[in-house]
Amino acid sequence: MRKLLLSLFLGLGTFVSKAQDFEFGRMEAVDAEFDIRKFDPLANAAVLNEFGLSRIDLDDAKGQTMLLFSYHARIKILNQEGFSNGDISIPLYKSSSYDNNEEISEIVAATFNAEDRVWVRTPLDPKKIYYEDVNRSYKLVKFSMPNLKPGSVIEYSYKIKSPRLFNFRTWQFQSEIPKRTSTYIARIPAIYNYNVALRGPYKLSKQDAALDRECLRINGVAIDCSKITYRMDSIPAFRSEEFMTAASNFMSAIYFELSDQQTLQGAKINYTKSWKDVDYELKTDKNIGTQMKRADVFKDVVAPLLKDISDPLAKAKVIYAYIKKNIKWNNYRGISSDAGVKKAFETHSGNVADINYALISALTAAGLEAEAVMLSTRANGAINKLFPVISDFDYVVARLNIGDKSYLLDATDPLLPFGLLPLRCINDQGRVISLKKASEWIDLKATQREATRYVLNGEINEKGKLVGTMNIYTNGYAALDRRKQINSYNSPDEYVEKYDEKMPKTKILKYAFSNLDTVDMALSEIYQIEMDMYDGTDHNQLYFNPFLVDRIQKNPFNLSERNYPVDLGAQRDVRIVANIRFPDKYAVVDKPADLSIGLPDKGGRFLTQTTFENSVLTFSQMLTLDKSIYTPNEYLSLKEFYSRIIQLQKTDIVLKKTL
Amino acid sequence: MRSSLYTLLFSLLAAVASAQYPAAQIPAALKVRANAVVRDMETTVDMRAPNDVGVRIKTAITILNKNGREHARLVLMYNKNSSIKYVRGQVINEWGAVKGKFSLSDFSDESAVDGGTLFSDDRLKHYLPDEHLYPYTVVYEYEKRYKQNLVLPEWQPIPGFDISVEKSQYVFISQPEDKLRIKTSNFTGKPFEEKTEKQHKITWTAENLPAVRQEVYGPDTETFLPAVRIAVEKFYYHGFRGEYRDWTELGRWTYENFLKGKRQLSPYTAAAVADMVRDLPDDKAKAKRLYQYLQQKVRYISVQIGVGGLQPMSAQEVDQLSYGDCKALVNYMQSLLDAAGIESYYCVVNAGNYKQSMMADFADMRQGNHIILCLPLKGDTTWLECTNQKLPFGFLGDFTDDRTVLACTPEGGKLLRTPKLRPEDNIQLRTAFFEVAANGTLTGTVETRFGGSQYDAHQYISNKQAGEQLEALKEIYDVDNIIVSDIKYLNEEKPVPSFIESFNCRLPSYATGSTNRTYLVLNAFNRSGQIPELRTRTMPVYLNRGYTDIDSIVYTMPTDLRLETKPEDVRIDNQFGTYELKVTQSGNRLLYRRKLVIKEGTFAPAAYEEFSKFRMRVHELDQHRAVFMKGTR
Repeated sequence: MRKLLLSLFLGLGTFVSKAQDFEFGRMEAVDAEFDIRKFDPLANAAVLNEFGLSRIDLDDAKGQTMLLFSYHARIKILNQEGFSNGDISIPLYKSSSYDNNEEISEIVAATFNAEDRVWVRTPLDPKKIYYEDVNRSYKLVKFSMPNLKPGSVIEYSYKIKSPRLFNFRTWQFQSEIPKRTSTYIARIPAIYNYNVALRGPYKLSKQDAALDRECLRINGVAIDCSKITYRMDSIPAFRSEEFMTAASNFMSAIYFELSDQQTLQGAKINYTKSWKDVDYELKTDKNIGTQMKRADVFKDVVAPLLKDISDPLAKAKVIYAYIKKNIKWNNYRGISSDAGVKKAFETHSGNVADINYALISALTAAGLEAEAVMLSTRANGAINKLFPVISDFDYVVARLNIGDKSYLLDATDPLLPFGLLPLRCINDQGRVISLKKASEWIDLKATQREATRYVLNGEINEKGKLVGTMNIYTNGYAALDRRKQINSYNSPDEYVEKYDEKMPKTKILKYAFSNLDTVDMALSEIYQIEMDMYDGTDHNQLYFNPFLVDRIQKNPFNLSERNYPVDLGAQRDVRIVANIRFPDKYAVVDKPADLSIGLPDKGGRFLTQTTFENSVLTFSQMLTLDKSIYTPNEYLSLKEFYSRIIQLQKTDIVLKKTL
Repeated sequence: MRSSLYTLLFSLLAAVASAQYPAAQIPAALKVRANAVVRDMETTVDMRAPNDVGVRIKTAITILNKNGREHARLVLMYNKNSSIKYVRGQVINEWGAVKGKFSLSDFSDESAVDGGTLFSDDRLKHYLPDEHLYPYTVVYEYEKRYKQNLVLPEWQPIPGFDISVEKSQYVFISQPEDKLRIKTSNFTGKPFEEKTEKQHKITWTAENLPAVRQEVYGPDTETFLPAVRIAVEKFYYHGFRGEYRDWTELGRWTYENFLKGKRQLSPYTAAAVADMVRDLPDDKAKAKRLYQYLQQKVRYISVQIGVGGLQPMSAQEVDQLSYGDCKALVNYMQSLLDAAGIESYYCVVNAGNYKQSMMADFADMRQGNHIILCLPLKGDTTWLECTNQKLPFGFLGDFTDDRTVLACTPEGGKLLRTPKLRPEDNIQLRTAFFEVAANGTLTGTVETRFGGSQYDAHQYISNKQAGEQLEALKEIYDVDNIIVSDIKYLNEEKPVPSFIESFNCRLPSYATGSTNRTYLVLNAFNRSGQIPELRTRTMPVYLNRGYTDIDSIVYTMPTDLRLETKPEDVRIDNQFGTYELKVTQSGNRLLYRRKLVIKEGTFAPAAYEEFSKFRMRVHELDQHRAVFMKGTR
């Protein structure tokens, strides 16, 4: 993913750009000539032309500057599968104060069908426009285009008036359907200064800036505007793929954030500031910095917990466990404390910020050094690192420093071991906010691999059953996943019962779990099993497939081509060792070749080895994926790697009766 | 003053309740396999007048563990026809102490429009107590008011799986002159009746009902969960008044009030219809032509406003918009048929993969969630699904097959049965030929005929763009690295619709092995899955719909491979179906044939063991391989 900073040069051009909206309902030759199928054989519909204009203007009635956005789109529907593109839904943001709601006006829409070489227009009946009050944060304006047919062209336009100036209006160049051309004009009065960022892989076809003199008059003062035109042509459709972080990281769009504003009196208000200013604001914010300083809330509870402990790391672990146990996450994210640390602690419930600021405060109360790390979760997308964009962050965790070591801690999930962040947090970088030092970026990398080890010891008895014990040891994210699964049942017994039901040829005779609740240690599951293998052992020949556990049934990478990186979050490690004693009368006559294959650039390995000695079959397998992110170029080797594994796993060991 | 009085009342209520519902008092039997327990619930419906029905719910539910947490969620639907008067509640800890209170202001308010709906005026308020220490009890009370009595709340004391009931009560209060019809299912308790001059009160009480566990291949919950449904003879609904006692009357009323007069077409469209059908020989051919026209012209979009939940949009409106919901599209199709002089019935159905009929002995407006069209065609009854742009003429698919529906006709309502898709109709017949190369790569052709419900399940692929078809086929023909080309689809005109899918494909390194041996998994594409082996089975085994799969694959092997072992022939016959596996060698060719027939039906709980063994045996046999030795001897 590339990001490009576009600076706004005010007053650069002196001519007034003539770029304007296209005429409603007037079909143009360029639209007709655009061969959609040639451009994108999968398309069911395509945007022929799209135009948006955002400008800041004075709302005389309210005496307040507003963002006025007009939108116009012309879309060709190729077939019935493309009809859903005729169902339009426009979100309008609401706020608790009525005055700050967004308003829509001038909705015009029509369907055009070519009949006898004439475009026949079916307008949208305004009575068929529905306003759905979805919840307290937004409304939807919805309508369905009338008289749709394969080959219809639909066109609609509307205007939105918004009090939200901070992010101006993001323009999505890319969408789920391809576009012939998309133009966006931003007209910004010189008193506002925005940071602008273009995301996604595609380049602008055109960008120019012009000066629009005296475009706005406030209290009699004439203000010049810069008028910037962004155009992108031939934009491919966006199709999401598996193992991908947020789609917004990859889709071509242009984002704005208000950097500063000049008042008419000549003062300058900074919005997007230097990190230095932001640090100060965060530290003094009553829902952020103040909540990090609530050591007082925990002084009394922490002391008895730590009275016999002197090692700082041991202290930290006790406090981490205590906070995890005592405050439950209400599933809300954010960097701003909702209830406040004190109330969250009293009610045993809070959002991410409540919980992790409580953790920071409690660690501080124990005399430890803890800071906050703000980050954006994988679902939320990438963060802008060129300048501070606080609204990009949606999560906060704690960083504990002991000596020269530091640990990232998140207390929202009781099953997380000390020092491991949930996978949702493993997304590029986070910003450390310290009460004492300047903030800084740090990498958010998985500190542990997703590691699983299977050890199977058993024998084939005279009835042809495999009896023995299977040990499963898991660490890191693998342990987290298994603990979550086990915990989703009401008891380990119930979990094992279900697990047993799922493996009809295998009976679990006994089981034992260790460290189910001691999450800092590897989880160990020991199962005594009995598997139906053969009907007795009086066979001349036995086939035995050593890939008894964790067999790869399906290649997870089966696309013909890949456009976006494969982001697994953490490295993976699966090892299997099996020792199986066969009745003495058998000898191995054929077995899968020992294999050792690797991914390029040390990306991973797969090894297997089979030996048969003194009637004991020893089989070992190791699979590692040593990167957490693979580029699209590496995709085909990943796919081939898994294919080789699948092929190998079809092969049996063949044993023959010797006596 | 008033608010402080309320506060006082509320705190009194809280004080009284605080001593109640300690978790320790739950009888042990009710904790078995339960995630939550309904401690005490009282549902009171007070039908003061047809346009004024109060519904009051008072309940206490103990949540035993995190899996029961959703039972603490309170979801209240409302719209222009029903309003929420008040809600108050509290959360109580394990020992019976009040931890917190909530009221309507704590609820989130959202529109209840689902993904497939353009607009509906239904809204909901919901609240889930933020409580994580188990067990805890939620006690709440709310009252709703309905401005209609056509659709009355039903009583289902067991609200779902894994929840038990200590006590649940249903009180229905009506005016002495109201005539009620009551349908009790799976419930043996006798109601207690009180009749005075002023009111008629009936009370049902259920106590100590253990939790029900959900089991795979289980029957419809309708068949075993207790329920009481009530319908009233004289009703009021959105300005409409009416009365009914049975399906005949309800169907007639629906026709008279919601359907009649909705089918006029513009002279232009009527003329267009006449044009379309002029030269066609009979009514069936005409209907087919009009159905194709409908499928091309309209698309399904749901709009539910006010009485629109039951009443279709007019035909003229659909004609202009080219979209509508199931009611509107059926009504529009009827208007086209009218113009061609063909009779048709608007039919209310319980749609869904699970077959659910209208209750023969109890008519009410609650039943049914979809509309389909029935054409009597002088004995050649034909059914149409009007919301699908691709289904063949006369085919309902597995969404509405084999169940009774209510036809709303001018002569009154009639219960009719939709056609059944038999196991021999729901076919998947596959023939494939593969050339096996020395490196284990298979190259060949695959041709499959899908019919009946299997047509339904595969039809969507044929409508996709070529590139998407490739990806979809990769998912269905789930062999690693499969490369598919020359995909063709051919629809077959048959009484039970079917289509043929054919393609060429390559399966790289499919038959691999060790130095000396090559392994060939014979069932390349149709391996059936596993089902759990249950230690205890309480529900009957219910197989919703039968089917027939036949796979024939011819493998031509390289000449230097010698067959070492092949699976033995198998034939299994039992009450659930049959399975046949046969592998024949002929020169260097190996013919694999597999047939699986699953019958539909309901079987005793004890039959589950045999059923799961059967399915597991099939699963195992589907993995079987032929083993070849390398090098000719």
